[in-house]
Amino acid sequence: MSIMKIAFRNLLRFKRRTFLTGSLIAIGVILVIVFGGLATSFKESVIGVLTNSSLADMQIHPKGYVESIDNLPLDISLNPHQLNKVAQVLDQNKNILAYSPRIRFSAMVSNYAQTSGIRLTAVYPEKENATCVGLAKRINGIKSYENFVKKGEIILPEVLFKGLSLKLGDEIVIIATNKDGAVNGVPLKIAGVIAGVMGPSGKDGYIHIDDAKNILRMEETDISEIAVHVKNFSKLDSITKEVAKGLGAMIGQKHEHQKMNGSQPMAKQVFEVHSWDQLAPFSTIAQMIDVLIMMVRLILISIVLISVMNIMMMSVYERINEIGTIAALGTVPRKIMYLFLFEGIGLGVFSAIAGSLIGVGILVIFAISKITLNFHGIDVLIAPTIPWGAVGVSFSTVVLISIIGSLQPAYKASKLEPVDALRHV
Amino acid sequence: MSFIKFSNVSKVYASGDILINASSHINLEIDEASFISFIGPSGSGKSTLLNMLGCLDQPTEGAISINGVSVNELNRIERAKFRGENIGFVFQNFNLLPVLTVFENVEYPLSMVQDNILKEERTKRVLDLLSKVGMLDQKDKYPNQLSGGQKQRVAIARALVTNPKIVLADEPTANLDSASAFQIINVLHKMRDELGTTFIFATHDPRIVQEAEDGILKNRQVVKKD
Repeated sequence: MSIMKIAFRNLLRFKRRTFLTGSLIAIGVILVIVFGGLATSFKESVIGVLTNSSLADMQIHPKGYVESIDNLPLDISLNPHQLNKVAQVLDQNKNILAYSPRIRFSAMVSNYAQTSGIRLTAVYPEKENATCVGLAKRINGIKSYENFVKKGEIILPEVLFKGLSLKLGDEIVIIATNKDGAVNGVPLKIAGVIAGVMGPSGKDGYIHIDDAKNILRMEETDISEIAVHVKNFSKLDSITKEVAKGLGAMIGQKHEHQKMNGSQPMAKQVFEVHSWDQLAPFSTIAQMIDVLIMMVRLILISIVLISVMNIMMMSVYERINEIGTIAALGTVPRKIMYLFLFEGIGLGVFSAIAGSLIGVGILVIFAISKITLNFHGIDVLIAPTIPWGAVGVSFSTVVLISIIGSLQPAYKASKLEPVDALRHV
Repeated sequence: MSFIKFSNVSKVYASGDILINASSHINLEIDEASFISFIGPSGSGKSTLLNMLGCLDQPTEGAISINGVSVNELNRIERAKFRGENIGFVFQNFNLLPVLTVFENVEYPLSMVQDNILKEERTKRVLDLLSKVGMLDQKDKYPNQLSGGQKQRVAIARALVTNPKIVLADEPTANLDSASAFQIINVLHKMRDELGTTFIFATHDPRIVQEAEDGILKNRQVVKKD
């Protein structure tokens, strides 16, 4: 006979009460695992859509570009020599899967009857397709993903396509001002229509980089940004640092002094490197999701703490006479404390096991079901992987909080004077 | 030297602002293998005396020596160990642990208190004692399945299983009918004769008083039986 055996029997002594308290803890664990799994799945799915469709995992810009990114400035760009340097650094890095140089600029689009503003991204289609692997799939009307926009063609955003009452194959004119202030217009054929990745209000279109050079009358290819796709997304932070170091660039815009990389002083820096989260507003939402998961964990901690403390305090109060008996028989205070501690831990462990199994089971059902939610044109796949880390954390948290919750009642039990406890009715 | 010696022992309880004199200047010597009962009306200090003998309570004044050990000088943990090794208790309300079977209740002091005894030896001792108190065939039952007399016999087996030098019994027959009470008294007598254990009772049950050797509490002091 061991302390654990007696503790276990005591748990089963009031089956209904133990079951109800255990259920409450188990529901808390289920909530944490399922909510955490679904929220993480949603977050990763949206991040996947964003990075695979337009942002890519990382972007390299000429220094100062991101500060003015809303204006898409043409006078802040990378010349061919600088582009070569970037290409060298990226080619040497085994963690880089693909990269795509882009020219980005604002323009006017006209159907000869109406005119509207458009933000254009000029790309080498095969490089862009290798970098933003989900982009071409979002374009309606194209025949080839690899060569989704050819010279003389344009991929129009859905909102403009509909707004200007256009059809695939129609000719439109793109009018833009180059960095010297000269205005030029070029006719292009509509090859496809793309839904905005952040919803239907997007006004981003794609053209071939040679057409951009033509419209902007560039003698050499001046690049606005280089989108980069990494092999292992989970190592993005370290890869971003590696690339920044290779380019002697800084990471992001804030805390420039702390984030200096390489040996070049700031004044001589040419490049800046940003991971997707430094460029997309969704990163704030992603952080909020993490905070929400943390909040749910805090709720779980409260549930476990209050439940275990409550049941153990009741248990001690109900069994004062019994504590007096075992103390009189010679049980040392330490063992009396362990007896109640093991009861509380046992309750936590069994509830956590039940909650974890049910929580994982629910996530498995979701993973098999592969539910897709459509948010303003973005298909978000809810297919959570089992967050074993989160399951482990939840389990450990419950056990730890059970120990904390049982400590006070167990200590109280061990401190009871046998003569007083035996008198208790 | 006496096996148990009370030297000028007093116990005063504080109840709010009022001090209650529960035992007053008790001098007492008890030999080994005695069969003693403390007799007296309610409030005469029987239970207080028993509690101090059982190291459950400390005297306010005076010294208690059991088998050469000054128990009033032991700390809380040392007293618990001393109880576990030397003293067995039989309670008026039996105080069996409800989640344990008869066998496990008797085994408890061996497995949880004297935890250096091998399982085979524990089992042998428990079965032997259950046989002596006539409860062997009930060993797998839980306390709530037993009658009062059966519970008290289990409690006696539990008190004796560690081979204690002293067994203290507080009103052990109070909740029993006459037949059960006589059975219990016979069992205790038999145990004293077989094991040489010192039995000390706090009771006003004349059935025990008749069998016991001496010890009357009068005005919170021990006097001899006539």
